[in-house]
Amino acid sequence: MDVNVPDARILPSSTALPASATAWRGRQIFWTVVLLAVVFGAVPAAITATGSSYLAQIAITAMIFVILSASLNHITGTAGLLSIGHAAFYGIGAYAAALLSTKLGLPFIVTLPAAGLIAAFVGFLVAMPTMRLVSIYFAVATLGIGEMIYVILLNWVDLTRGPMGIRGIPPIELFGWQANTLLSRYMAVAVIAVVCVWVLHRLTHSYYGNALRALREDDQCADSMGIDVVRLKVEAFVVSTFFAGVAGALLSHTSAYIAPDNFRFMESILILAMVVVGGMGSLPGAVVGALFMIVLPEALRDIGDYRMIAVGATMFLSILLLPKGMLAEGASLAFVRRAFARGWTTMSGGTPVGWK
Amino acid sequence: MIFDIFLLQQVINGLSIGFVYALMAIGFTLIFGVLNVVNFAHGEVYTIGAFIGLMVITALAPPLVAVVPLVLAAGALSGVGLERLAFRPFRRFTDEASQKSRAMREATLLSSLAVSIIAREIMMHLFGGDMQGVPSDYLLQRPVAIGPIMVATGSLVIFATSAVMLGALQFLLYRTQTGLGIRAVSNNQLGARYVGIDTDRTIVTTFAVGSMLGATAGILVGLYDGAISPHMGFAPGVKAFVAMVMGGLSSIPGAVACALLLGVSESIATEFLSSGWKDLITYSLLVITLVFFPQGIFGHGRERA
Amino acid sequence: MTDANTILSIDGLTRRFGGLLAVSDVTATIKQGELVGLIGPNGAGKTTLFNLITGFTPPSSGTVRFAGRDVTGLKPWQIARMGMGRTFQNLRVFPNMTVFDNVSVGAVGSFGQSPWRALFNGGAQSRAVSARSWEALERVGLADVAGEIAANLSYGKRKYLEIARALATAPRLLILDEPAAGLNDTETAELADFIRRLHAEGVTVLLVEHDMGLVMNSCSRVIVLASGRKIADGTPEQVQRDPAVLEAYLGVEDDAA
Repeated sequence: MDVNVPDARILPSSTALPASATAWRGRQIFWTVVLLAVVFGAVPAAITATGSSYLAQIAITAMIFVILSASLNHITGTAGLLSIGHAAFYGIGAYAAALLSTKLGLPFIVTLPAAGLIAAFVGFLVAMPTMRLVSIYFAVATLGIGEMIYVILLNWVDLTRGPMGIRGIPPIELFGWQANTLLSRYMAVAVIAVVCVWVLHRLTHSYYGNALRALREDDQCADSMGIDVVRLKVEAFVVSTFFAGVAGALLSHTSAYIAPDNFRFMESILILAMVVVGGMGSLPGAVVGALFMIVLPEALRDIGDYRMIAVGATMFLSILLLPKGMLAEGASLAFVRRAFARGWTTMSGGTPVGWK
Repeated sequence: MIFDIFLLQQVINGLSIGFVYALMAIGFTLIFGVLNVVNFAHGEVYTIGAFIGLMVITALAPPLVAVVPLVLAAGALSGVGLERLAFRPFRRFTDEASQKSRAMREATLLSSLAVSIIAREIMMHLFGGDMQGVPSDYLLQRPVAIGPIMVATGSLVIFATSAVMLGALQFLLYRTQTGLGIRAVSNNQLGARYVGIDTDRTIVTTFAVGSMLGATAGILVGLYDGAISPHMGFAPGVKAFVAMVMGGLSSIPGAVACALLLGVSESIATEFLSSGWKDLITYSLLVITLVFFPQGIFGHGRERA
Repeated sequence: MTDANTILSIDGLTRRFGGLLAVSDVTATIKQGELVGLIGPNGAGKTTLFNLITGFTPPSSGTVRFAGRDVTGLKPWQIARMGMGRTFQNLRVFPNMTVFDNVSVGAVGSFGQSPWRALFNGGAQSRAVSARSWEALERVGLADVAGEIAANLSYGKRKYLEIARALATAPRLLILDEPAAGLNDTETAELADFIRRLHAEGVTVLLVEHDMGLVMNSCSRVIVLASGRKIADGTPEQVQRDPAVLEAYLGVEDDAA
């Protein structure tokens, strides 16, 4: 179908608002620089300055969970399909990367995308029959499939070595360069996490993202607007599971050891809690939620074993007091439109709407 | 012939597991009926039931028959507390739109999940993460010969207790004012309110009743298996949940039938598979059911929830 | 019988639910540029016919041709993308999205959407979607609230939002499902003006209505449905004089009394 070009009277003209457009570009550069400076400047500086392997470890875990939380937000927050089996796809990615590198000796440059693709392929197989299910039935199906995958990881001893897990997974290496130090490991994970979040950002903060949100709001209605509902849901699920797989590969290559217990139901719930605490449907929220839920228990290390109680209590209080999360969807979309210049300027100036 | 008897024995074992799932699934179903939400903390009620029972046994060493009422009381209490904590704060808005809204449903789903994490962690601190043994006097593992087959006393106790409780539930739902209230609220909460039913009280009662069933299931399994731990509620909780969904979310007979089906198929599966794989049966049944019956086997075209 | 000007033609359309004949052998056409009303007493089968045309319900027999193609059995989104825009009887805006984003879904639907375009090469299409959404908002007069969350709009404004969303699909046929439901007399009159203006601007409209007044005042042709059958098809004057129509409406009133 060809793109009708509407008449000029309603096209946005960049000359109409030169001042505002420049201000936007300035803001976009500012926020991008701030984010990159924190991820690639402040955090590595802190790791180097303190020389703390503990800090580096938390930073790596946080980055992995940022990918998980952002990818779960894509399907559950944006497209509105409650998935409570996300950790299973994380596990598939982790095992795929671990087995491909330990058994076949494949390099990281192959195992990383392969882990994502294998998880996405399983996601596709899962999505095909379950996308017709509505609401809680879909959630239960993901729970069932998540548990099935866990049972398989635990019991298919010939392939996965069962509860013993897989040891000796090689670290991240790229064309001869090896991430041997914790700092270099963090940097590699951070680069990949930033790319993943950027991709999800492009997907959600666009008219394609609006179509996904329409599925969540009222899929029958979206259907009669010309939106291919089933295809879009499958796409969203595949994208989401792909990134969960990538996160799994990062876990394998940074921790050198994985076991089925890393991918249990509680892990899925932890990821869901990140999305909820951050704000369902809000990508900045998913990132903040992941950082919060990883850093909080560490900050509460002094209270020792009570920290899981603190996690539960945080989740509970956040649902009670901030039902829309720390960064609510509406506000965060408006923020992205302004701060990252993704919005479309209207004739009258004012607040940006739509997407560029 | 030997094999047949063995199979029969497995079926009996499976039925007793199935009745445990059924007791829990009824709790899920009752609560889903009145509130249209899933109570994720139901597995913890089961664990609490087991621990309270164990504490009573170790402290007072009463006869077994006396343990059950205490566990029932504990279950009712925890149900009421759960409703107060995880569900009532989210019922601030009572109009139809917010009752049907997805946001509210997801809020209580997650709040009950959060409460279940907290409850489980507290039990971990109080009792430790390891299995607790049950005093051997109370173990329900003595075999009893019924004709050619051997049945553990635990199975018999589970059958008897389940029968009594299902009967009592039937009586409660269809012969009492309270039951009428529960059924009315399940059918149409706003309508029930208009005809003068105290919906808040009915909801609390439902939680109490559902949790009594769940807590009883917990102590029965604890005494049958001889081991009690803070994590014991998870697996039966998930399976009861599966039974409820397969049964169509709002049908008690459907949930009971599916729970028994799950119990028996797991038990028979252990004949052919190593025990690690038996959970695969439950989840495969769930997924197959959902693919062919998107609304559960006994679901009747309920409005798109 | 179908000339080049025909946008929608239904032929022998029938739908059974169990033993009940909800729609029975309905044949009708709509030409480009027409403003046609479809009326009938409660239970006449209007909603079923609507669902048959838009693809939500498959017919038991008969065919639907839209824009020169047989669309019988196609999915709603496929028919929508060919240029059939619709509104819903009981308001179905996307409540948690802004007014502009609501409307953009209609435009995105008609342009087609793909994740690759969102990632790499969305510019031209995004501008077209934005422009068309903005145009639709200006047409219904909601441009000044483009950034509001849809759920915060008044009932009447949400009606216009639905129409804007349908207009953003660039419909070759716009079907309005009981747009006057829930509006008072003044608002209904405004709506009638608005629909006539849309028609004057060249939009082909099928108005499915319960409210006789709105249809008789606005439409150039009226199709009357009763008990699942088409009982009249003509100008408002012809239809009003038709004894079958009078009987259908009076008969129902007798039943109700």
